[in-house]
Amino acid sequence: MVGEDAFCCTGCEVAWSLVHEAGLDAYYARRDEAGTRPAPLTGAWESVPFTELADGSCEVTLQVDGLRCASCTWVVESLVGQQAGVHDATVSYATGRTRVRFEPDAVSVRALADTIAKLGYSPRPLDAPAPRDDLLARLGVAAFCTANLMLLSVSLYAGWGPGMEARFQTLFQWGSLALATPIAAYAAAPFFHSAYRGLRAGAVGMDVPIAIAVTVLYAHGAFRTLNGAEGYLDSLGMLVTLLLVGRVLERRGRRAAADAAAAIASSLPVQTRRRTETGVEDVPVDALVAGDVVELGLGDEVPVDGTVIHGQASIQMAILTGEAEPVSVGIGGEVVAGASVLAGAVAVRVDKVGEDTLAHRLAAAVRAATDRPLPPNPADRLAPAFTIVTLTLAGLAGAAWALMAGPERGIEVGVAVLVVACPCALGLSVPLAVASGLGAVARRGVVFQDGGRLLALAGVRTVVMDKTGTVTGGTPAVLSADDDVLARAASLERSSRHPIARAILAECERRGLALPLATDVSELPGSGIEGRLNGEWLRLTSAGPGAVVLQSESGVSGVIRLGDQPRDDAAAAIAQLHAAGIRTQLLSGDHPEVTAAVGQALGLDAALGSITPEGKAEHIDALRRDGPVAFIGDGLNDGAALAAADVGLAMHSGVTSSVLLADAVVTRAALRPLVAAVAGARATEAAVKSNLTRAIVYNIAAIAAAMFGLINPLVAAILMPLSSAWVVIGALSVDRRIDRMETEWTS
Amino acid sequence: MDILTLLIPIALTLGAAFAILFILAARNGQFEDLDDPALRMLQDDE
Repeated sequence: MVGEDAFCCTGCEVAWSLVHEAGLDAYYARRDEAGTRPAPLTGAWESVPFTELADGSCEVTLQVDGLRCASCTWVVESLVGQQAGVHDATVSYATGRTRVRFEPDAVSVRALADTIAKLGYSPRPLDAPAPRDDLLARLGVAAFCTANLMLLSVSLYAGWGPGMEARFQTLFQWGSLALATPIAAYAAAPFFHSAYRGLRAGAVGMDVPIAIAVTVLYAHGAFRTLNGAEGYLDSLGMLVTLLLVGRVLERRGRRAAADAAAAIASSLPVQTRRRTETGVEDVPVDALVAGDVVELGLGDEVPVDGTVIHGQASIQMAILTGEAEPVSVGIGGEVVAGASVLAGAVAVRVDKVGEDTLAHRLAAAVRAATDRPLPPNPADRLAPAFTIVTLTLAGLAGAAWALMAGPERGIEVGVAVLVVACPCALGLSVPLAVASGLGAVARRGVVFQDGGRLLALAGVRTVVMDKTGTVTGGTPAVLSADDDVLARAASLERSSRHPIARAILAECERRGLALPLATDVSELPGSGIEGRLNGEWLRLTSAGPGAVVLQSESGVSGVIRLGDQPRDDAAAAIAQLHAAGIRTQLLSGDHPEVTAAVGQALGLDAALGSITPEGKAEHIDALRRDGPVAFIGDGLNDGAALAAADVGLAMHSGVTSSVLLADAVVTRAALRPLVAAVAGARATEAAVKSNLTRAIVYNIAAIAAAMFGLINPLVAAILMPLSSAWVVIGALSVDRRIDRMETEWTS
Repeated sequence: MDILTLLIPIALTLGAAFAILFILAARNGQFEDLDDPALRMLQDDE
């Protein structure tokens, strides 16, 4: 069914025979898009961590990039799953995360990755496999036990007035204790673990007062139940359940951010063509050394930093300049790794490889800069003081009452202080408000790596923006041209990869113009394109920034004006930022005039052009003296600026690895999400502050009342959930606050 | 009202059975990926 000469390359043939031998020919019926050329496997596959499962088999998680459709997941799962020594493979189409269960004696992780790579997908080792924890199971247990505990406790409380048969009272009390035991022993275990870990490391976090509260509540309840009294264990259930809800929300937010980052792979090529004495050979980029000569043609990405020794090409250096507009590079010109050849062909002498290339150095500089510590969670900062103050007050009150009214009353008051000094409101105040803020902002198109970075955005005074790809769409668009000129130009540009060609073709399609077929088309690297249309000779050349000219034998026949258009919502978003009291600046590697024009059109406070990647970082450092600065950009060349700013936001254009280095990713091609993020950060900060205030006010009032012996355990049991509910309501207000702020800034 | 002595333990046991099922499901990874199964359903098995 497939002829011998039907393959475009040996890679396809290998993949086909793999698929064919495995009896999976159905793949070709299922796929809806042709595959890509397989790249050889690179990376340290020998040391990939995997986990041993209970049944003796092992499990490894790989990130597989390049999955395009549901049948990609099917073929990877089936082929890997059929390999000897593999139990099964599960591929998540949404995230590309692939989980393989295998026998380490029979097959190596490298062999698994090799199978995937041979199919044309790119497997990557994941640094740390996501730990599977029991948090959800613990929350389930806590919620189940607490719901039933409430049922029994409410019955007991209701029975106080009219009276209750003693045997039912006993049944309910012991039932409560039975339900509270799994809560304290199983559901609350994470708090004990992390409190213990913290104490051993000499740090008192929020988990320490929580662990103390759980212990005191349970011991007190158990003691009272054994003595035939009501144990007030429902407070324990509410405390643990609500705190676990906070934890689960917090973790889900973090995971969503990690997935967003993992979905973007590095853009450097892994294979290239090296010139040899007799011809050209395919080699992995890792094998190149300085002095080698590589040949690059149309569509290739430059794998190394080097100098052109032969030929001429139009090369897009967005990695260095951030501009989509290609530059013409001839003999003696320098190219950098990560740039791509849009037209022409060149031979490049390798100057620097691997770690020494500009792309690697930029990434390394950024990584070093992002090691800046995050602001600590405000509740964790309060925790040590809270713990010490509560314990001291409980001791003092207990001692005082013991002296006045005997030791029994002393213990009772001491316990009451510990019980009402509920860390619940304090422990929940921040995670709930932050989780609610992260969720609200994510729904509006910005995914933050974690809550600390979101809160950092609240205090920002200046927002610095990159021009190309951030404020503007990043690719040129046709501003004005006659239909006739456009159609003739498009015929020439039909198969060109140049951004201008694509803009012209896109505009033609939008206008619905027919494309006559041109002949004898040849690209003039770096200057234009020429060919014949209906026998007439035509040439399309650049005429300065923002314009191309169509020439025929009889002279100039038309001009097409092009420009990088600002995003539709840019002006509105910038006006909203100004209304929010934030200064805006535009920094670009583009011509100062073009930058200034965009800046003026959109009403930015300042617009500076011709700025290098390092220059952007320095400028931001200078601005930081006047208050926190946020930076929003898109290219890898923005990496240093993203790291230098207090908050770095990356536009998710799908090709940049800078996303990995940013604090947040804007998931929509628009500027509006930035405004929502600022509003979200301020709303979250306000909610955190008001929640902390509520928690502190509650604790001061409750502790004081308990110290004076005014609070009995029933009052405490009612107050505790009320204080938590108060905090929950505070957190839920974030969404409303964002909408209100955005509306306020619009007018 | 004597029936309570019987019904409450029965209700709790039933509830506990479901709680245990939930723990098993959570440990088994049933809640880890909530997006893919929906897509997977559209593929027919060979």
